[in-house]
Amino acid sequence: MRVLGLYVERDTPVHKLAPFTKLMYAVTSTVVTFLFPSITVGILFLVLSVFLNTIARVLKHLIALLMVVSVLSISIFLIQGMFYVGNYTPLFSLLRLTFYKEGLLRAVVLVLRLFNMISAFGILMLTTRPSDLIDDLVRRGLSPNVGYVIASVLQIVPQMLSTATRIIDAQRSRGLEMNGSFHKRFKAFLALIGPLVLGSLLEARERALALEIRGFEARTKRTFLKDFSESKR
Amino acid sequence: MLRGKFTTAVLVLIPVAVGINYAGKFFAEALKLPLWLDSIGTILAAMLAGPVVGALSGAFNNIIYGLTAGPFSLVYALTSVGIGLSAGGLHRSKMFENMLRTILSGLIIALVATAISVPLNVVFWQGQTGNIWGDTLFAFLRSKGINVWIASFFDELIVDLIDKFLSVVVAFAIFRSLPKTLIYTFQRE
Repeated sequence: MRVLGLYVERDTPVHKLAPFTKLMYAVTSTVVTFLFPSITVGILFLVLSVFLNTIARVLKHLIALLMVVSVLSISIFLIQGMFYVGNYTPLFSLLRLTFYKEGLLRAVVLVLRLFNMISAFGILMLTTRPSDLIDDLVRRGLSPNVGYVIASVLQIVPQMLSTATRIIDAQRSRGLEMNGSFHKRFKAFLALIGPLVLGSLLEARERALALEIRGFEARTKRTFLKDFSESKR
Repeated sequence: MLRGKFTTAVLVLIPVAVGINYAGKFFAEALKLPLWLDSIGTILAAMLAGPVVGALSGAFNNIIYGLTAGPFSLVYALTSVGIGLSAGGLHRSKMFENMLRTILSGLIIALVATAISVPLNVVFWQGQTGNIWGDTLFAFLRSKGINVWIASFFDELIVDLIDKFLSVVVAFAIFRSLPKTLIYTFQRE
């Protein structure tokens, strides 16, 4: 079954860590880089995060994730370089636009912070099966209902996207125009989202019935299929 | 957290709402619409099952998106929560009864989304949004010496206003066409 997520199957020490440990690293390193906005702290954590991604042999996938925010990063450099409040020392001019030292340094901090956030969460996302993370969290006291909602989202989204593709095909075969003026395309949007919403809500109602029949609302202690190894405290 | 307070139908509705958000974005991209339209599910869930469920749908949407696609959307979970809460609240106060009220609600929700996003933009990215049109306006306003907060407000507003407004109108149109029996399934009380 197709499940939403970035998990990359490998056999490395990082993959074997308890999911909760990786989640805590991601949260901690993100919070610390926000609390200490210095270039040194930023580089320190970015290097550590990239190092862990290298051990996990998912560096290639991490770079793909970082490419997603490349536009934001470039725009941070341009705008902070030119318009940062504390800009004082001109560094260089390009096509009559002046870039300032303070703004560019600020941009370095911001981009390091952004890259670290993505690398740190990258470790979690690339090396942990989403279902394992949910299992581990439920074991540590997360409500099973919340666990269900998250697991269900991860399954439903790919399903609904493939339904969406089918609806596009079905409506086009009935002559739906996907090109033309904004008005035309917006009307096409309505013709596509309408059937999808109705269909998925009907399915949801059936799913609710099926779950209740199988004791979803039972309030007993749950047991787990998998175990995670973790060092003793 | 969710124990006891929610029926199974509502718990099943939240993932579907997130799925509708994703599908909205997918359709918008397929049609090359210059919009995201990725909060229709959140708004619908709020109309069906109330502000709390709307807020939860929004939160789960951004948490899942953040954990599977781009972590920086985690930051904007608060915005999604605001959209869900305001859509649910407006629906409770009968602000989706007719087209005129819906238009007003759309504007209110867009303003709420903007008001929550702006402080996040300023704190996290010094006021930028990462959207090319918005950031160009931001750079222009900043070069005229306008305050970061005001520049960021307009940066976010031109991005959000039309998008959230049309999302609300679409959600309203769909909600009105749903069979009544289906609507009752998801209502909490």
